[in-house]
Amino acid sequence: MTEPYEAAWAGEARWFVRTLELEGEQPSLHLVTQISPDGLHWCDEETPELVTTEPGLVSWRVREFGHWLRLRASLRGGDPKAKVLIYLALKS
Amino acid sequence: MESDDLRRALIAADPKLSKFNPLPRILAFDEFNTGTHGWTELIGNHDGHGNLDTVDKHMRDFRPPQLSSCDFFDTGTHGAMSGTYALKVATRPVTGHTGVAIRRLTMAQRGIVQFETYFTYKSEAATAESSLGNRFGEIEWDGNLHPSEAQFGCFTIATDLCDGDGVRYHTVMRYQNTDLDNKLTRRWVYPVVPEPTPKENLHNQDNLVATEDFTAPNPEDWHPLDEEPQFLCYNEVPTKVNWHYLRWQFDTRSRTNVELQVNDRVMDLRDVPVPHYPDRYDGLENLLNFYVSVRTHSPVRNFLFLDSALISVDW
Repeated sequence: MTEPYEAAWAGEARWFVRTLELEGEQPSLHLVTQISPDGLHWCDEETPELVTTEPGLVSWRVREFGHWLRLRASLRGGDPKAKVLIYLALKS
Repeated sequence: MESDDLRRALIAADPKLSKFNPLPRILAFDEFNTGTHGWTELIGNHDGHGNLDTVDKHMRDFRPPQLSSCDFFDTGTHGAMSGTYALKVATRPVTGHTGVAIRRLTMAQRGIVQFETYFTYKSEAATAESSLGNRFGEIEWDGNLHPSEAQFGCFTIATDLCDGDGVRYHTVMRYQNTDLDNKLTRRWVYPVVPEPTPKENLHNQDNLVATEDFTAPNPEDWHPLDEEPQFLCYNEVPTKVNWHYLRWQFDTRSRTNVELQVNDRVMDLRDVPVPHYPDRYDGLENLLNFYVSVRTHSPVRNFLFLDSALISVDW
């Protein structure tokens, strides 16, 4: 889970996730946007989960998300390890 | 009418500026209702490969500032003092974590520099899952006193300055709400050493921890300004927002502190020492950086909010 980010001012958002390293047995990285009314209570946003299985850059958009954003990420596979950079690009 | 009287009258007639007391030249007026105005995350230096693993351990995670509408679980959107948004600097919920926002300028001349802001500070409201109970530090909830007040560590206003001739130094003031044992101190403190630099730490990474106080890591290097606590308005729960006025002056001609005003208290800082780095710096000529930081002394997120900030000079 990333730290909560408050972005009520933004009309659109885009996550960029740069996977630098992804190791293990058939590793996969599962990424889900989460939204919140107050930074305390969270639920998944409607955009489907994005799955990445190799290093590289992936991106997806979020709109009408309300006030708060964070990213829920999970690793699956045998003894998986990942190193990622996460960007949140926001526009009014 | 004298020109200074006219200038004062024009400032007084502008509702955006009349809440400030600027010196003759306004360098920056940052009303965070209109954006972040260049206040950004501070990250430590890294190598020529863009490898962020080479950033000092305690400078990797200062977190980006956020434009906050100050919304809370109990009241909804509070808004800032001016409009909807304030600049929020937030820590992680990790004891010792620091959040930092920095603004980078340079000096066109040396002289008096003044930083003014309207600010407030908060611990994060508790949920059933994150609550540490009704007692924390020396505070027990009694309907007025709230444990969240003792869960707030400190906030800092600071500079990174360098002359045209390469002398680098910082002026720094910190409001210490609690000590590291979560006991309320409510003192203004300042560091007596310059901030350790990435160059000094380059071969020292094993001795650094992620939650180190990057401004001055040794608590003994923070000295109180005087024996008087300053009681600020926390207003009983972490979801009530009251804005405080702060005005801070330093002199880049003499490299000294001058004065700090916070609400009705004016503190003479002329005797507060400003340590210089022993080495001269190239590449930082006329550096005029400001930063604000917030540091938690508890496993609770701490927030510093700025409604707006104004930087002015006497030249």
